[in-house]
Amino acid sequence: MQQMLQQFPVVVSALNVGFLQTLKLFFVTGLGAIPLGLVIAFGSMSRFRPLSLLTRLVVWVIRGTPLMIQLLIIYYFPGIVLGHNVWGSGEAGRFLASAIAFIFNYACYFSEIYRGGIQSVPVGQQEAGLVLGMTRWQIFYKVTLLQVVKRIVPPMSNEIITLVKDTALARIIALQEIIWAGQSFLKGSHGIAGALWPLFFTAVYYLIFNGLVTVGLGRLEKRLDYFR
Amino acid sequence: MKKILALTLAALMLLSMTACGAAKKDDVLEPAGEEATEAPAEEEATEAPAEEEAAEETPAAEEEDAEEEPAEDSDLAYVQDKGTLVVGITEFEPMDYKDEDGNWIGFDADMAAAFAESLGVEAEFVEIDWDNKELELKNQSIDVVWNGMTLTDEVTTAMECSNAYCNNAQTVILPADQADKYKTAEDMADLVFAVEVGSAGKEQVEALGYEYTEVQTQADALLQVKAGSADAAVIDLLMAAAMVGEGTSYADLTNTVNLNSEEYGVGFRKGSDLAAALNDFFAESYADGTMEQIAETYGVQASLIEQK
Amino acid sequence: MAILEVKDIRKSFGQTEVLKGISFSLERGQVVSVIGSSGSGKTTLLRCLNFLERPDGGSIAVNGETLFDAADPAARREAEIRRKRLHFGLVFQSFNLFPQYTALENVTLAGRLLAKEDPDYRARKKELFARIEDEARQLLGQMGLSDRMDSYPHQLSGGQQQRVAIARALALRPDILCFDEPTSALDPELTQEVLRVIRQLAQRQTTMIIVTHEMAFARDVSSHVIFMDGGVVVESGEPAAVFGAPAQERTRQFLDSYSQN
Repeated sequence: MQQMLQQFPVVVSALNVGFLQTLKLFFVTGLGAIPLGLVIAFGSMSRFRPLSLLTRLVVWVIRGTPLMIQLLIIYYFPGIVLGHNVWGSGEAGRFLASAIAFIFNYACYFSEIYRGGIQSVPVGQQEAGLVLGMTRWQIFYKVTLLQVVKRIVPPMSNEIITLVKDTALARIIALQEIIWAGQSFLKGSHGIAGALWPLFFTAVYYLIFNGLVTVGLGRLEKRLDYFR
Repeated sequence: MKKILALTLAALMLLSMTACGAAKKDDVLEPAGEEATEAPAEEEATEAPAEEEAAEETPAAEEEDAEEEPAEDSDLAYVQDKGTLVVGITEFEPMDYKDEDGNWIGFDADMAAAFAESLGVEAEFVEIDWDNKELELKNQSIDVVWNGMTLTDEVTTAMECSNAYCNNAQTVILPADQADKYKTAEDMADLVFAVEVGSAGKEQVEALGYEYTEVQTQADALLQVKAGSADAAVIDLLMAAAMVGEGTSYADLTNTVNLNSEEYGVGFRKGSDLAAALNDFFAESYADGTMEQIAETYGVQASLIEQK
Repeated sequence: MAILEVKDIRKSFGQTEVLKGISFSLERGQVVSVIGSSGSGKTTLLRCLNFLERPDGGSIAVNGETLFDAADPAARREAEIRRKRLHFGLVFQSFNLFPQYTALENVTLAGRLLAKEDPDYRARKKELFARIEDEARQLLGQMGLSDRMDSYPHQLSGGQQQRVAIARALALRPDILCFDEPTSALDPELTQEVLRVIRQLAQRQTTMIIVTHEMAFARDVSSHVIFMDGGVVVESGEPAAVFGAPAQERTRQFLDSYSQN
């Protein structure tokens, strides 16, 4: 216990560095995947058959394979095939590769949620808009969108909370996120070796952050409660 | 996890085999080798000087071939061209670890920095996932694995390795209160071992035919023993010295029997000419005493292997 | 001149021909009721008039202007169709109010969006919006909803929702207001409050086409009745004639089945 108290400040500052990387990956993925998912959703709903088939195939492949494999392939495949590492060897390259893998993976998951949400809005809403002389864009933006948002907030919340924890997968290509930082004290780091508690302690970070995310998304859900 | 990795590797290797021209080098060198062996055979009955001639011809032919090769096939030229030697490491005291300012130090780190300097480039240290070290090399996201790496068959097959430079052993870790009961490897037949996946320790336990479970890291193996889910663990002796016993989280564990003796080496991309360059550098720095001096800094001089 | 002239409208879904050449015309201020059993094509006819379905044949003209002619591809362009739709209003069976907007916002939304196409939109925005809102309040008042303007659809009864929907359709001042079984989704009690509103509109000379199963109401409110069956107009004429002394056997059978129920 005494030993743990001595180690605490060292461990926390190392975990903070790792958690910053975790947060960066989380927010970059969110900012990238939320709009990209919409583009993919429109692609998969396209009336142009080849486009919708291709999009659905890609979504199927991405959702049907582990993110961990996608990370490995995105980071290592170009280097092995092209003979030079396109990402750069440092932490920045690993982050870039992770971010792209995560954005793409999550955009595919989001796109299916969007698609379900858009298709669950009764067709009568669209028809009511048309009859009132609205353009398709006005109908989407003024009528459908908010109803879609209301419907997708609960499933999106699940995905977003999963994303917080999934960021840990990036350690497979040696992105030094918080689990990596916690694990380093097992192998030995900062003069502390064989300490298991820092790894367990990372759970506290996830828990607190996910708590904040849950509260935020819960508020959004509440704000959309005014209509049904 | 290991299976997934193996499958990916298999897929990646298939693709890289079709995509890269690594075989080219061997094709070019082979005829030269044949000439060298055939020439004396043809003139078997003639005098010795003919043999000398043939022997002289061979290096000349090789040099010509080397000149024809594009420069990018030389790993040394590639590293010197970009000006950095990217060293793949994990935190592993006393070989590679961070000082208080966050700089990488340790016996391996210091040697790597000195080697890079001798090549006229800078050493850049990158933490990697140990499971993916071969991938990292192939991907060129690192140039060398220099991290107290045991020279196992797996390692020497997958990488171009330097000469061994340090002795190590796989040692059995037991709870301190059990240590008296197990004096030799034979006493341990009924124990369940925890070992790191793909480690030298696993190979040893497997060779003895004892029951074992595989875990992600050597530290995890220790945890298994501490938690009681395994009776014993097998890890590196140099690591045991740092992690087991007084002043660590594993104060109630102790290291007992050494199952083997083994050696550390440095790994480069398969076919890399950097391995030979490092062997030369090892020989020089052993001869002038700098290697021993660095070893003393980190207390590993006793394990050092003579370099010639 | 007839306000609406529908000629030989045909529409098929796959192999099924739902409308087999429907023609009729309508004078300003007239109320036409379209009756017939389910599947007779009544709803499809209304949807064609509102361009929710594109007829395969025939033409539609309002005030002498041809809005749709199956023979003329130029009349099918999306952007033009949007403006042409405004000649018609449509009240749906299932109301289709926008759930995220209040009653008042439901009525003003389309008007505000259309105001953006006004050449002086920027300069007159305030004035335009104020006028749109005034009119909406007035319409909702006429519908007896003065005290529910700021309610969201889910806070309103079915009858109230349908009355908001009627106000929403009227707000764009359509030449012809169409009702697609406006009371089918309502309890008898709520049905009466909606019918009362439609009756008021008829008294104010609103030109309307009403697809309905309320025979008594149709007889009472209409100036003209069309009985459809199997995609054709079987019989049409004054309500007293169609209901009182139907000339066709099929009409009689249909009306009998209603009086029995």
